[in-house]
Amino acid sequence: MQVVSLRSDAHTDAEPVSGRKSSGVDSAAAMIEIDHVSQRFQTSGKQSHLALSDINLTIEDGAFVSILGPSGCGKSTLLYIVGGFVQPTDGVAKVKGKAITGPGPDRGPVFQEFALFPWKNVLGNVMYGLRQQGVKRAEAEARGRKLLEMVGLKGYENFYPKELSGGMKQRVAIARTLAYDPAVLLMDEPFGALDAHTRTRLQNDLLDIWDRQRKTVLFVTHSVEEAVYLSDKVIVMSRSPGSIKQIVDIDLPRPRKRADLLLDARFQKYIVDIEKMIDDGGKDHL
Amino acid sequence: MTQTRINSVLLGITPIVLFIALWQSLISFGFAPTSLLPPPGAVFGKLAKDFFNGDFLHDIAATLIRLFAGFGIAVVVGVFIGLAAAVSPAINAVVKPLVRVLAPIPKIALYPALLLILGFDHASKITLVTADALFPILLSTYYGASMVEQKLIWSAMAAGTPRWQILFKVVLPAAMPSILTGCRIGLVISCIVVFLAEMITSTDGLGHMLVQAARTFQTVDMFVPLIMISMLGLILNSLLHWLRSYLLRGFPEV
Repeated sequence: MQVVSLRSDAHTDAEPVSGRKSSGVDSAAAMIEIDHVSQRFQTSGKQSHLALSDINLTIEDGAFVSILGPSGCGKSTLLYIVGGFVQPTDGVAKVKGKAITGPGPDRGPVFQEFALFPWKNVLGNVMYGLRQQGVKRAEAEARGRKLLEMVGLKGYENFYPKELSGGMKQRVAIARTLAYDPAVLLMDEPFGALDAHTRTRLQNDLLDIWDRQRKTVLFVTHSVEEAVYLSDKVIVMSRSPGSIKQIVDIDLPRPRKRADLLLDARFQKYIVDIEKMIDDGGKDHL
Repeated sequence: MTQTRINSVLLGITPIVLFIALWQSLISFGFAPTSLLPPPGAVFGKLAKDFFNGDFLHDIAATLIRLFAGFGIAVVVGVFIGLAAAVSPAINAVVKPLVRVLAPIPKIALYPALLLILGFDHASKITLVTADALFPILLSTYYGASMVEQKLIWSAMAAGTPRWQILFKVVLPAAMPSILTGCRIGLVISCIVVFLAEMITSTDGLGHMLVQAARTFQTVDMFVPLIMISMLGLILNSLLHWLRSYLLRGFPEV
């Protein structure tokens, strides 16, 4: 039984797939392209479960895109495929035009469970990626301290993750990922384990950082309000099999202020519309 | 020292004091003759005196060498095989049946064979200690390494850690709590087994000292090595505890 998987059946697609054209969107601006991706999981016995069915998606450079849907719709799986953690059963996922064959520092994950290294202190966690990239210790330390200041954790460098609150842990995790400057941030329900107040503050801080750095963000969430508040584009998925139901462009001005948006009729309408879409999907499967 | 810490130390010492008092009272009230059960005062007095005796120190040294060598090899081999089995299905397929077959064997049963093959000196005893301490360390390493949070590995890989380094940069440190628990069990077993082996066949060591004393009805000398091995166990366990709280300083208390 292999529980820790260090290897993956990296399937390199060097040659272009003939007969299939990718979505026809201008690929110069495309950061992530998902081309006919399906994911099938072997369940107990001979059955298999189609977690993702023929997903096609293009995400432009610098876009903030949320993936929304009921549990079991494969939204996290889709994120893991882009991360290179999971290999799709069918189809190709590309980043900057190159087929994804495994994880890489151009795509930085942030998980709901924080996944900080418990044996390293806060600064050690943030420095980890820099040291892996070959940055000298002194410079990595200086940059680590700066990042911690940016996420509001100056003075906590020598704390261990266990000594921090959930919100602070997630700030460390975000700093750890930003440290190696990925072009894409892959956020898997990053604020799902936090209380409402902390969640709002982290959403605002994330928007601040994104405004400054304009990284491409792929953001998986359960919360319609969070998705609309943060994103340029919300991808609504349905389950069994996991597929894209609709893509909603969020046409709200930036920088966004939560207090203003809550009173904004357009913001409210987006939320109501998307909630209806998810609800319709739910009825079929109840 | 805080008040609670003083209290817990006092609470810990109390039963030991009571035990010695019970021992003394057995003699004082005439339940056991002094010739068969020596009073604790005589035993501790002899122990203190023996510390200036070259032969006694030689026996302690012999026991410690066997203990450390056997336990040390068990840690290295156990952690290595445990990690390898956890990350490689092929190695796991080879190791698993072997462990299942060998683990339940009372290792002391191998001792006669080890004596014949390796002789009466250190080698046979070290091998026996290793054989006994190996399995708890191997198994706890295996389970610890198998249950490493997948997202820790993903986080490290995304940060640019090559696959072959994941084992040492993530799996080993993440499995450390479990590995150290296995080491603790392995250390206690090592103390027991080294003493036992020396009691069965040896020319020196604390176990040998006890058997020699028993055969010649030197009852005081019989209890001295017992107290000594118990004290060694206490010291080694404290050292391991200290090492554990240092290495696991970032881990949540379990």
